[in-house]
Amino acid sequence: MINFSRVSLVYPTSTKTILEDLSFEIAEGEMVLVIGSTGTGKSSLLRLINGLVPHHTGGILAGDITVGGVSTQLVRPGELAHLVGIVGQNPAQGFVTDIVEEELAFGMEALNIAPDVMRKRVEEILDLLALAHLRNRAISTLSGGEQQRVAIGSALVMNPKVLVLDEPTSALDPIAAEEVLSILHRLVHDLSLTVVIAEHRLERVIGFADRIIHIAGDGSAEINLPEEILKRSEIAPPIVHLARALGLSDVGLSVREVRRMTEEIRASGKDIPREVGQLGEIAIRTNKLSLTYGEKKALNEVSTQIHSGEIVALMGRNGAGKSSLLTTLVGINKLSSGSSEINGIKSVDLKGQVRRETVGFIPQEPSDLLYGQSVQGECQQADRDNQSAPGSTFALLKRIVPSINPETHPRDLSEGQRLALALAIVISAQPKVLILDEPTRGLDYQSKALLISLLKNFAKELNRSVLIATHDVELVAELCDRVIFLAEGEVVADGPTLDILLSSPAFAPQVAKVMSPRPWLTVSDVMRAVAE
Amino acid sequence: MKTFTSDIYKFSRSSKIALALTSVFAAAGFTWPFFASDMESARFAQYFFWVAMPLAFALLLTQLSDRSLDAKSVALLGMLAALLAALRPLGAGAIGIEPMWFLLILAARVFGSAFGFLLGALGMLASALFTGGVGPWLTYQIFAAGVIGLLAGAFAKDLRGWREQIYLLLIAIVCALGYGLLMNLQFWPWALGTNTQLSFIPGGDIQINLRRFISFHFLSSMAWDIPRAILTSVLVVTTGPAVLAALRRTKKRAAFLTPIEFSERLS
Amino acid sequence: MKSLHPLTWWIWSLLIVGAVVSANSSWLAGISIAGATILVWRFAADAPWARSFWFSLKIGAFILIIRTLVGILIGVPIPGTKLFELPILPLPSWLAGVRIGGVITQERLLSSIHEGLIIVAVISLFGAAVSLTSPHKLLRVTPVVIYEFGVATVIATSALPNLVQSISRIRRARLLRGDENPSWRSIALPLLEDSLSRSLELAAAMDARGYGVSRKRSRYRPISWRGIDSVVVLAAFLILSFTLAVFR
Repeated sequence: MINFSRVSLVYPTSTKTILEDLSFEIAEGEMVLVIGSTGTGKSSLLRLINGLVPHHTGGILAGDITVGGVSTQLVRPGELAHLVGIVGQNPAQGFVTDIVEEELAFGMEALNIAPDVMRKRVEEILDLLALAHLRNRAISTLSGGEQQRVAIGSALVMNPKVLVLDEPTSALDPIAAEEVLSILHRLVHDLSLTVVIAEHRLERVIGFADRIIHIAGDGSAEINLPEEILKRSEIAPPIVHLARALGLSDVGLSVREVRRMTEEIRASGKDIPREVGQLGEIAIRTNKLSLTYGEKKALNEVSTQIHSGEIVALMGRNGAGKSSLLTTLVGINKLSSGSSEINGIKSVDLKGQVRRETVGFIPQEPSDLLYGQSVQGECQQADRDNQSAPGSTFALLKRIVPSINPETHPRDLSEGQRLALALAIVISAQPKVLILDEPTRGLDYQSKALLISLLKNFAKELNRSVLIATHDVELVAELCDRVIFLAEGEVVADGPTLDILLSSPAFAPQVAKVMSPRPWLTVSDVMRAVAE
Repeated sequence: MKTFTSDIYKFSRSSKIALALTSVFAAAGFTWPFFASDMESARFAQYFFWVAMPLAFALLLTQLSDRSLDAKSVALLGMLAALLAALRPLGAGAIGIEPMWFLLILAARVFGSAFGFLLGALGMLASALFTGGVGPWLTYQIFAAGVIGLLAGAFAKDLRGWREQIYLLLIAIVCALGYGLLMNLQFWPWALGTNTQLSFIPGGDIQINLRRFISFHFLSSMAWDIPRAILTSVLVVTTGPAVLAALRRTKKRAAFLTPIEFSERLS
Repeated sequence: MKSLHPLTWWIWSLLIVGAVVSANSSWLAGISIAGATILVWRFAADAPWARSFWFSLKIGAFILIIRTLVGILIGVPIPGTKLFELPILPLPSWLAGVRIGGVITQERLLSSIHEGLIIVAVISLFGAAVSLTSPHKLLRVTPVVIYEFGVATVIATSALPNLVQSISRIRRARLLRGDENPSWRSIALPLLEDSLSRSLELAAAMDARGYGVSRKRSRYRPISWRGIDSVVVLAAFLILSFTLAVFR
């Protein structure tokens, strides 16, 4: 279906060869996963399939790519729309119109498809993706999962043979991600659709993949069966790391497989003693905190305490009130009733410099914090704001990302580097509490590992508290001491990470699913349990 | 870099002719009070142009949409127009100050005058659709904004650094004052009526009418025009370099004019 | 009411404008303003563009007041029944020798109000057409020959509400960095950067989905002209014919 023959790619403004001499074939009905660190050319590879690269981006393409027998050299991307559907990283940015139905029809209108055919296909897609009840809704009012389904629908409505997705679940909570992935799975099996998908969170997709393309970063790439690739790849889901750490002969890709291989370990592993850390003084305290927007109750009598030295995860589905709680804590929202304070200062009194020095906040889009013209400029601004020694923020940044170029424009940084810059700026004010809203969106494993060690360091060495709103259960398992679970603005569970994550199957990390009923969340937990 | 100074979209020859014809028509739509021979024809001209200007503009658009706008230009046009429309009411409280002009001027400078024309027109339209400012005056505003975009992108494309700043400052002042002048010109006949001492005299001496208009303009809009010119120039000076840099980075990233090459093997 | 063709109210209001202008009667102007008000009040959807009419009425009232005041202050005197007299205040000669004040007659005042009312009627009829028609629907009947401009307008109108969200998000981020009074610039620049990169993403999506491939385009759910539309337009046309017959 897709055929790459000796493909090399260079972008016009750089001398770096993104891909070099790449050849492979993807058959009809295959589901292929593309993995690689940030910036290695995953998106480029995906966009080569329908000719967006180089037709849309410019560049030099050597070799030939054909899809369904059509060479991408000869036709523009739009002329392949009936063969290849593509769903971008951030679906919200790819919507042209504002109503679900019209968005689905946009591509067909452009291709001059007859109105009655359009009606029929739109209806089919609405049914297939369970969007029928949303047909007249404004897209901006939909949840992330619904938006992702609309984006997939507007690609599928052209009846393509190939569907290309760039990180389709990165913005979704685990349940919504599961919905989207199972739809893809069904499309592959029922309609024999060929699917090419790039995803950082391998644990979510690995079970569905027939083959993997691993892009190394030096221009080379390998395509092979998942078992083969994951035997060696440094990018791997937690269960593969588990298999490697345990020295199993085979890597299993599904929880079921690995469970079979590890029966003995589950039986023989020792109980690991719970770490009972000394709780520090109270850093965050809320008492019956409520928040209403108009008619809607966003938060309802939230009472909790977070101590210094603690790393706490705030979990719950999209719209459960996580962001509302975070912004209320730092005094951006006016609370309707109850009280909240950080470090003894009432949230509403946090203003200006006091806020900056009390609490550091990384919003969902770290780039919102940035408005300078260069990395250097941002760091200098932070130095001035904090009246700290010139260069200290940049020095901090250098320790996180040694390779960063001070002249780069903040917008041209990779997701991970941008997060690092925002973190450096926020930490440079030496806040007592650090709050992060969805920090791991779009981060590869490497950047995530860096973030984990940085936050651990911040909380444990400096004895400060960290509060993270996240969907990423693997991150929570690795990093957090405690989980607060929100649903419809209320705290429904609050306790040690171990207890909370194990009590809900949807939110259990992969290793825990493998090791159930033993209470081990991470690879290192298991290793400690089997250590002599 | 050469790519920095070239326009991303250019009018075709027939579009230029259409634009010239529409401009002549629009010029008549603005200046008819000086040429109306009597009361009856003045009345006719007022309502005729209110209806005919939108039609003329619609015709111009059909000509301009000649499939020469690629997806990148259209997306950029739509986004920037939305930004202009969002900026326009930010001057609220002081109607008419409208901080949108500086962005129009800078975008037209980076993306070229033909793009600037479309952007000005579309920005006005989008803003009117959302703030409810649709009325007979809308086409006049659309046309004036288009012309500002057209002019802002037309000249001295190679200037950079402080020279560019000064040039942009001049453009900002001329555009802000010029827009006020044009708006007053269309406002004059119908806001004032025909029988005040500042109204135009149908069939009257062109010099007297001109003096009356200048007095009207002076009396009615200094309070709006001067602040608008000051605001636009201040914005151009303070945010100009950063905004220009952002626009130029986008232009480069969008690879409007970068070559696409296919080859057998990478040499 | 949502089933009316989006052009219906536009044609209707143009015809009524023709009637009001050709009749040149304050009575008809007043009646049409009242009629438009009732229509908008009864039939306009609860949407942002529905505010247009009330906005037009405000502008109209403003224009009416201005015209009347200006007529009183610097109007050309019209002989007739004297109402009151203002002291005369000459302005410097370089201001076209304008003289403020003087005798105000009933005829003078009525003349200002009469002309003003007609202008207000025209403006409010435009406003009514806007209020009664969804701009999204209007864009969907724009002829395909202005497709590119139409798509750009759709993008602009769809993006505007998102911009408002982005602005509040960026403002919040400024507050978080301890900047209590974020400068205009520190909000505008991230907003611009955000929108620009969004437009590139959007362009890629459009390219991938077939934008600009076919010279012809089709319409999803084409909006058809129906009997009720003809009735509305015909009614307006009758009014126009009536005024042309009576007042000429």
